[in-house]
Amino acid sequence: MLRGLRRVVRRELRIIFSHRIYLFCTTAAPLLCFILFATLMDEGLPTGLPVAMVDADNTPLSQRITRRLDAMQQIDIVKQCADIGEATRAMRREDIYALYYIPRGTARRLIEGERPILSYYLNYSYLVAGSLTYRDMYITSLLANAAVGEATLTAQGATELQATNFVQPVVIETNALGNPWLSYAVYLNNTLFPGVVSLLIFILTAYSVTQEIKYRTGAKWLQAAGNNILVAVAGKLLPQTLLFSLTAIFYNIFLYKYLHYPLNTPLSDMIAASLLLIVASQSLGLFLASALPSPRWAMSIASLWGVVSFSISGFSFPIEGMSGSIEAATNLFPLRHYFMIYSNKALLGYPTAYSWVHYAALLTFCLLPLPLMKRLKYALKNYRYIE
Amino acid sequence: MRKIILAYLHELKCCTSDIGVMVFLLLVPLGYPLLYSYIYSHQVVREIPVAVVDHSQSNMSHAFTRNTDATPDVAVAYSCIDIPSARQLMEKDKVKGIIYIPQNFDSTIKNGEQAHVSIFCSMASFFYYKAILVACTEVSLSLNSHIQATQLARATTEEIKITTSPLPNEAIGLSNPTAGFANFIIPAILILVLQQVQLLGIGMRMGTEYEKNGGQYPSLGINRLLGRGAAYLTILLPVATYALCVVPHIFGLPQLADGTTLALFALPYLLACIFLAMTLGCIVHSRESAMLLFVFTSVPLLFLSGISWPGSSIPLFWKVFSYIFPSTPAINGFIAINNMGATLADVSFEYCVLWVQTAIYFAASIIIRK
Repeated sequence: MLRGLRRVVRRELRIIFSHRIYLFCTTAAPLLCFILFATLMDEGLPTGLPVAMVDADNTPLSQRITRRLDAMQQIDIVKQCADIGEATRAMRREDIYALYYIPRGTARRLIEGERPILSYYLNYSYLVAGSLTYRDMYITSLLANAAVGEATLTAQGATELQATNFVQPVVIETNALGNPWLSYAVYLNNTLFPGVVSLLIFILTAYSVTQEIKYRTGAKWLQAAGNNILVAVAGKLLPQTLLFSLTAIFYNIFLYKYLHYPLNTPLSDMIAASLLLIVASQSLGLFLASALPSPRWAMSIASLWGVVSFSISGFSFPIEGMSGSIEAATNLFPLRHYFMIYSNKALLGYPTAYSWVHYAALLTFCLLPLPLMKRLKYALKNYRYIE
Repeated sequence: MRKIILAYLHELKCCTSDIGVMVFLLLVPLGYPLLYSYIYSHQVVREIPVAVVDHSQSNMSHAFTRNTDATPDVAVAYSCIDIPSARQLMEKDKVKGIIYIPQNFDSTIKNGEQAHVSIFCSMASFFYYKAILVACTEVSLSLNSHIQATQLARATTEEIKITTSPLPNEAIGLSNPTAGFANFIIPAILILVLQQVQLLGIGMRMGTEYEKNGGQYPSLGINRLLGRGAAYLTILLPVATYALCVVPHIFGLPQLADGTTLALFALPYLLACIFLAMTLGCIVHSRESAMLLFVFTSVPLLFLSGISWPGSSIPLFWKVFSYIFPSTPAINGFIAINNMGATLADVSFEYCVLWVQTAIYFAASIIIRK
């Protein structure tokens, strides 16, 4: 049996090194994505988002608000507009993500006790940019409101402390557990990296197995394995497992040792989870190739599964907000379980016991193709390739 | 002209009789947008469960808890005696955050000092953080005005408002007023899918040809290239109409586009994609390798477009790189046209880029076949 395994591995290595596409999928493509995502989101949190100011009041008060807004980290006032129309046109041209409007007579009406309103318009078509500009504009407005309130009270004879306490009796203190600096890069890259690897594994596994049917080499493959389908499959996939594992070890070291993303568990835990994700993804790819032994269908479904993984794993939009049936379906995607293990352990530092379901789920994926091995064996011997 | 028409008819026949190609050119763009719209159909996350640790147990702290529970974004699912027990609930994933009200909450307020409420959020998703923070801030603001009112017992409501909140503010969401997730991501996905299915479908077609032609591309002149391009356009026009007009309509997504503007904008996008696919097809050496080469690019391309990570924060190198692909100008232009009712003049930059791309990739697809 071991001799058969060695024979199949040697045969597979020959295939891998004579087809550039294998090294592309296992190494070049993931590395390219890692570098792209890491350098793209180098800032961690976007800063200096372009916004416009419409200061129709033009008084010391409105100028103070403008300066304060411009000093906010996420915002950069790139345009002073004469009226709202000009600013909304700039928004339609996508020159700015938001505009802040101080209406004419604000300072005067304030003195007259009329409570003038500060307005800001946000482009939520760009949700991240919209939310970040919202936060800075909201805080600036609250501060302006508080400053005016405090100034009135101190003018009436209150001390500064009394005034502050009166204007804001209840203060909210936030503690963002696991990602205290609210970095978007941390939030996205931790799942984007393994997601890309998992996607490529699905497709490459389905490809490499069904190619044997396409070129009618299935019989030779089985023969090399001593007619044992398990040996054949293991010998074919092991070299790929190894290559993908190297990539996974690289991204773990890259994320946690080089970029210093939060890691509240030993690095070996995340490497182990990544290796489990790799084998689970290979198993799912093998399952698809065995269930649909045709390159076209196996690879199309594998692609679909891999791409949908990104949305359905819940790292960008939480699954609690998805339709009920989708929430249940998330369990069918290995990336979802990896994401849960990552967020429970690396991000939040919970003990392993709380993630056992997700480990069990990933292990279940590994068993998934076993019942179909007979079918695959039959297909390798008898199926004809259809375009 | 005759050559063009013959090539056109031939290619149309080849495509429609090839199920693999039709899966990408027809089935995927028909089904995929539906799947995504369904996944995100709720748009927002409501009633995120939190645990409250109330050490104050006063009327004031009860009011805070009650009002937080009443917000649409957050639900107070548990009340715990201390932080460790609340943390346990968080570890079991029963709650996404903890609100801690200290013992002196009530007394500090009554003494005219500042009271502090602490919130702890799981950062597994930014949505948890944002929802809990916004809910608690809103509740604290309304509680503040209530407290101020009791301190200014004799004033009228309007007088209290003038003292406590002299300069109110309002946030107005343009183009996606509810800040919905589907409104934000689906328009970009609709555009990106159109490009990706062409890379895959046309790539598969060319890979098949390469294989059948003994590891070589058949040489094509300008006429046959044009004929082929027209054939792909014929298949894609109804598909694009469906993706850009019907899908947003079915799922009630923003749809402010002027029909003519949208049609004029979509045309160079489809053409640029077709010729890009015919250019990149030269690296597809077998029927199946198109999938290995192009599927994974969807995720980086979505990020490069600036829809998620803001375009203004994308480093220059990647910014330039992103304009190699028609999806970047098309996503930004389509969002301006569809979500904000922009005219062709508003998106003139994106529009011009698409035509330039069309010209470049048309030339490139001729050159690589020489």
